[in-house]
Amino acid sequence: MTEVKAGPVPYIYVCTRMRVRKSKLIPREEYLRMLNMGLSEITRFVEETQYKKEIDELATAFHGIDLIEIALSWNLAKEYQSIQKITPGTLKDLTRAYLRRWDIQNILTIIRGKLHGERPGKIKEVLVPAGELDKAFLDRMIEEPSPERIIESLKGKAEYPLLSRLFEGGVREELLPKAENELYKQFYADLIAMARSGIKGGRQFLDYLTLDIDITNIRNMFRYRADQSGDDIMNVAIPGGTISPQMMQRLLQIRDRNEFIDALVPLMKTRVLRELLETLREEKSIREIEIDLIKVQIAEMETMSKLHPFSIHPILAYLEMKKYEIFNLRALARGKESNLPPDRIRGYLVI
Amino acid sequence: MADAATAVAATEMTVEMIKASQLGMKALGAGLAVGLTGIATGIAEMAIGSAAVGATAENKDVFGLVLLLTVIPETIVIFGLVVSLLLLF
Repeated sequence: MTEVKAGPVPYIYVCTRMRVRKSKLIPREEYLRMLNMGLSEITRFVEETQYKKEIDELATAFHGIDLIEIALSWNLAKEYQSIQKITPGTLKDLTRAYLRRWDIQNILTIIRGKLHGERPGKIKEVLVPAGELDKAFLDRMIEEPSPERIIESLKGKAEYPLLSRLFEGGVREELLPKAENELYKQFYADLIAMARSGIKGGRQFLDYLTLDIDITNIRNMFRYRADQSGDDIMNVAIPGGTISPQMMQRLLQIRDRNEFIDALVPLMKTRVLRELLETLREEKSIREIEIDLIKVQIAEMETMSKLHPFSIHPILAYLEMKKYEIFNLRALARGKESNLPPDRIRGYLVI
Repeated sequence: MADAATAVAATEMTVEMIKASQLGMKALGAGLAVGLTGIATGIAEMAIGSAAVGATAENKDVFGLVLLLTVIPETIVIFGLVVSLLLLF
């Protein structure tokens, strides 16, 4: 509470730190240069940047693609944890709530790993302890003998009631997609409730949530259109955005791409999203659409952080940009490992 | 009537009293000029200072630059000081 009473000072402090950190992220030109490098050169380049400590620590135990991947995950987790420590007052609560999405990812990864009989060391490599569940807690979860015991170990956490209800009759592989959808729906519902609870900075947080939900829902709609599997969109549609799940269901009835976009564009309140949707009239692969949507989301978050310079927006913008830097480096390393041509790898980068 | 006239005469100010009052007002004005500009400088430096500390925490090389930026609002209090000195001397 002392931070809240200190007025705007802690907000200015932390938002400036986020801006400086954002300026240290790898620029576009460096990615383009890295496209022409080999895997060992990329590792060396990454080592020269802010990932040096992790690469040095892990270099004795891992090498090649594993070294880069684990070092990147460690760095991301460490960065997110450090941000949680320096954020003041209600910004800390909002940041923590936002980072809960990593808990969901980690829980599902551990359950999937256990179901497939993966060894604990392998599961640990792919976890990103960036949320509320820290490294020690996740280690304890990995050591549990069965998926049911893993769920029991979550007692007292936000995810427990839903998971225990879903897996009442035992943890089965086919229930996992449903669990994933339901966990994310609950995650967003909790965040919206928090933003609307009258918390300081809640309005700005709600703006971000609306954008995030819109982007996720649009991506899911394009995936469903490309997939044509006939599954119900209601399973993945997240309520709380500009388009309701029922509206999404109606929109997906439209077969023609142009007509679909014609119906979708007027529903969007954000100008950049409307402009992006107009560009999607021409045939694009689902991967290209997803990358375009991410770019629009980041650009919009940047705009929001300029409109509200001392709010949750600069923090969220940095967290998202850092996440995509990790994704880019991972895509580059994996692409190089698989000997993909630079043009192909570039298609996977968010730059 | 005579008592009232005596009372009015007693409240009439002498030249010495007026001079002393003017001096007092000048001192008050000088104090306000420095005090209020000092508060204004503090408010301006609050935001710049916290941003400066944040930037230095991330990148120590910018210390010299941010120190310079932090002291720029000091000009406000210097103006106040000049005004107060002009008032007093």
